[in-house]
Amino acid sequence: MVKRVFQRPLNIIERILFIDFIKGLTVTLKQAFRRTITTHYPYEKLTPPKRFRGFLGHKVIDGREPQPAFNEWVERMKIEVRPGSSRCVVCLLCKRACPVPQLFEIEAEKLPNGKRVIGVFNMNLMLCTFCGLCVDACPVDCLFNSDIHETASYSRKDAILDLKALEEIGRDWQRRREKEEDKIWSDDEQRQKLWYENDVSIR
Amino acid sequence: MMEIAINLLIILIKILVILAIALGIGAYLTLVERKVAAHIQRRPGPMVVGWHGLLQPIADGVKLITKEDLFPRYGNRFLYNLALIMALVPAVLVFAVVPFGPPIEIGGREIKPILTDVNVGILLVFGLGSLAVYAIALAGWASNSKYALIGSMRKAGIIISYEVAITFAVMGPLMLAGTLSTFEIVQAQIDQKLWYFWVQPVAFVVYMFSLLAETGRVPFDIQEAEAELVTGFTVEYGGIKFGLFPLVEWYVEVLTLSAIAVVLFFGGWSPINIPFLGFVDPLFFLGPFAPFVWFVLKVALLLLFVLWLHWTLPRYRIDQITAIAWKVMLPLALLNLVITAVIAPLIWR
Repeated sequence: MVKRVFQRPLNIIERILFIDFIKGLTVTLKQAFRRTITTHYPYEKLTPPKRFRGFLGHKVIDGREPQPAFNEWVERMKIEVRPGSSRCVVCLLCKRACPVPQLFEIEAEKLPNGKRVIGVFNMNLMLCTFCGLCVDACPVDCLFNSDIHETASYSRKDAILDLKALEEIGRDWQRRREKEEDKIWSDDEQRQKLWYENDVSIR
Repeated sequence: MMEIAINLLIILIKILVILAIALGIGAYLTLVERKVAAHIQRRPGPMVVGWHGLLQPIADGVKLITKEDLFPRYGNRFLYNLALIMALVPAVLVFAVVPFGPPIEIGGREIKPILTDVNVGILLVFGLGSLAVYAIALAGWASNSKYALIGSMRKAGIIISYEVAITFAVMGPLMLAGTLSTFEIVQAQIDQKLWYFWVQPVAFVVYMFSLLAETGRVPFDIQEAEAELVTGFTVEYGGIKFGLFPLVEWYVEVLTLSAIAVVLFFGGWSPINIPFLGFVDPLFFLGPFAPFVWFVLKVALLLLFVLWLHWTLPRYRIDQITAIAWKVMLPLALLNLVITAVIAPLIWR
């Protein structure tokens, strides 16, 4: 059943005096004198939310690693802990979680004392879809999505992030936004309600 | 001999000034239009080139001039270029009969700020206005493209319909003034202490509709119809040739027809009118410049009104446009003519 909605037809006075024209014109005139809402992009930039999925990076060891997971993984993978460098424990879970695994190039470096440390970690972002599955898979909160989203570059080579670049992005992130509150869930009561208090049970 | 030389010199200066005004203001109206459109949509418009985008028209012009001049493979090159000239020349030529102000005295010589005060000025305006249809039909035909041809046919249909309506609409003011000379129409309004808008509102509405239709402005921009026809008859033009068509159609023609509307309905250079009583001039402190400022102000307001309409209204269908022309506007104009004939003796006195 299709419900038909009619507009009230204009009466003869309204037709003669162009009432509907005038209504439309007042709307546009009101809008014309309101403040503009443009962000002047190259000169002004908006800060993305903390959960924004931009360029990937490696957080560095700074004493705020998730415990006890980090110590367990360091023990299991025989990693030498070097404060100030990447938290990566070379578990390859990110590569396993990735829908395009060939974009990762991960190699560990074996040290003379029998321990290991991350040696090569290249990410080819030409293939990356920024889905964030690798970030979810990372057991030590090392790999993460930063808010860097201006990804244009002059050559394809620039799109490949090596370990140095990833660590740099990570240090930058930890300096700027690590301590910022993650506001997406805490602020939005309605959204929390929808998620926690629904009665749907999936068997 | 000396007299002729001086007269020729004066005419040459007038031509140069009018050309500069027509094309310069026409080019800068692109910026005005973009700014108005942007603010209606709560954007700031061009902001980068110059202060608030003031140099944007120059940048656009340089860009258009330096672009490659493309030509469709099976088009007719002669008609293709002729259409451009036929669009530009009549539109600018109309400025020859637009009176900008009262006669001024320079060096003991009375100069009328109008290029030629021909005694059939209004007739000239609409004669030249009708020539626009040739330009558009030729542009559509010579481009050898179906979009261009459909666009030009639509536009030709609209112009032919509205030429009739606009001619009957202006007959009202002409009847009250008793002359076809633009200069004397304004003078008659000043002498009768009456803007013809007060007694000819119907004619003014018909005139405005026809203005929008002839210049291809929204709500009658069916020949452009971006969503259906790409851009209508200009689709095969490139570079500055493409730039000239909208310049002529959207800006110069709107400017001329707005100026003629001001002459016919709003008393040209006269200040604010109280019907039959006189004129109130809040700009008296400008002295001899006040009439020119009034004229420019009125034309500017009318032009802004057209832009405002453009960015408010949606587009009519082609059959609705022609139906409005023949079934509503033409009978209204004729009715207005009859009523004007009855009240005219009251105004002549």
